[in-house]
Amino acid sequence: MSSESPPPAASGDNQDELILAQKEAIAQDIASNASLVGNLEPVYSLEREFSHDAVFMTKIGNLKGRYAELRRTRPDGNCFFRAVAYRYFELLLHRPDEYERIKALLPRAKAQMIELGMPTFTLEDFYDNFMDHVDRVGQAHMDAQQLFETFNEPGQSDYLVVFLRLLTSMQLQRNAEFYQNFMEGDKTVAEFCATEVEPMYNESDHIHITALTEATGISLRVIYLDRGSQTEASLHDFPDQGESAATTPLVHLLYRPGHYDVIYPVKSTSESGPATSNATVTTTAELSS
Amino acid sequence: MSTAARRRLMRDFKRLQEDPPAGVSGAPGENNIMVWNAVIFGPHDTPFEDGTFKLTMEFSEEYPNKPPVVKFLSKMFHPNIYADGGICLDILQNRWSPTYDVSAILTSIQSLLSDPNPNSPANSMAAQLFKENRREYEKRVKACVEQSWCDD
Repeated sequence: MSSESPPPAASGDNQDELILAQKEAIAQDIASNASLVGNLEPVYSLEREFSHDAVFMTKIGNLKGRYAELRRTRPDGNCFFRAVAYRYFELLLHRPDEYERIKALLPRAKAQMIELGMPTFTLEDFYDNFMDHVDRVGQAHMDAQQLFETFNEPGQSDYLVVFLRLLTSMQLQRNAEFYQNFMEGDKTVAEFCATEVEPMYNESDHIHITALTEATGISLRVIYLDRGSQTEASLHDFPDQGESAATTPLVHLLYRPGHYDVIYPVKSTSESGPATSNATVTTTAELSS
Repeated sequence: MSTAARRRLMRDFKRLQEDPPAGVSGAPGENNIMVWNAVIFGPHDTPFEDGTFKLTMEFSEEYPNKPPVVKFLSKMFHPNIYADGGICLDILQNRWSPTYDVSAILTSIQSLLSDPNPNSPANSMAAQLFKENRREYEKRVKACVEQSWCDD
């Protein structure tokens, strides 16, 4: 931001700059209160925040049997992408099969992004950086602690987030005809990507999650902790496998209205091996409204 | 210290030198890669033709995740440019994408000179004249063009 003080508010003044300055102040406040990616904490730490709320307390109580730990992310509008990226890189530390799969997939995705008209020069910068981290983690040149530090270094952390945003944008635009059905008003998919997907700090919705999981093949389960009437937090799997779900998704996220954190199932903490397919979790895939 | 923002700005600069876009130029200040000086040449067949308009670009450590603050130093008369030189351009605000680089920013501002958007005015007088009295608009712009030659 400019170091000059903003001009006094009067008509004809640069209102955009005043709005940006205010947004910046809010962002600074959030940044000083939350790490980009936090340390592991037990799931029951959520109870402290919701002790006054019977619905949340019941749902958290029921979660504890299935989920052991939680890792918070900064609520800066990038939380969904950052949570997925962090958990996925963490998995790559001990999933050579997944490393091989993503290593083969990403160059094809990059070609599709270029085909779509994304600027090659800058795209390659994000792609190379992401691929470099995939390699470092997949080939054990980076351990869990270094990964944690990388994700808490703002510039680097955001570089990884950007690439996931671009992948999401690519997937939406390549399937614009389908995704057009989910646009509000007469907004085009391209317009949506330009204003809601590619710019950082814009929050993610169902449509972002669908597109990202499609683009990457990373399976995802979102646990919705909200004030719905059931006693169990509802969940949704991406891609939706319906009743026939045979495998547990790779990445699990906890959603509270407006925010995503990483959540770790009891039987597959960050140190566990390949995901076992013992479906101890019900797969009702019920969507919260 | 080499940060993501600084590395990227070096890359942007290298590209600007190796593959310079027509009608714009830019370079980091002598001691600070985070503050750039740039020049946009007024596009042909517009009232801005022959102008050499100077700008500053201030980057934060959050670049390219956040856009730079770009301002004209030269006095401008344009519907989307504020009196203080600030620019009302969507890609520098809510449509910013980290895939834009310095070259893309400068060429976008250059096309803004050719194609003002009088419906989202930063200078209401310029917007009104652009819509209702093109001759007067062009006269005021030409005065800025002449003044741009005298700037340091």
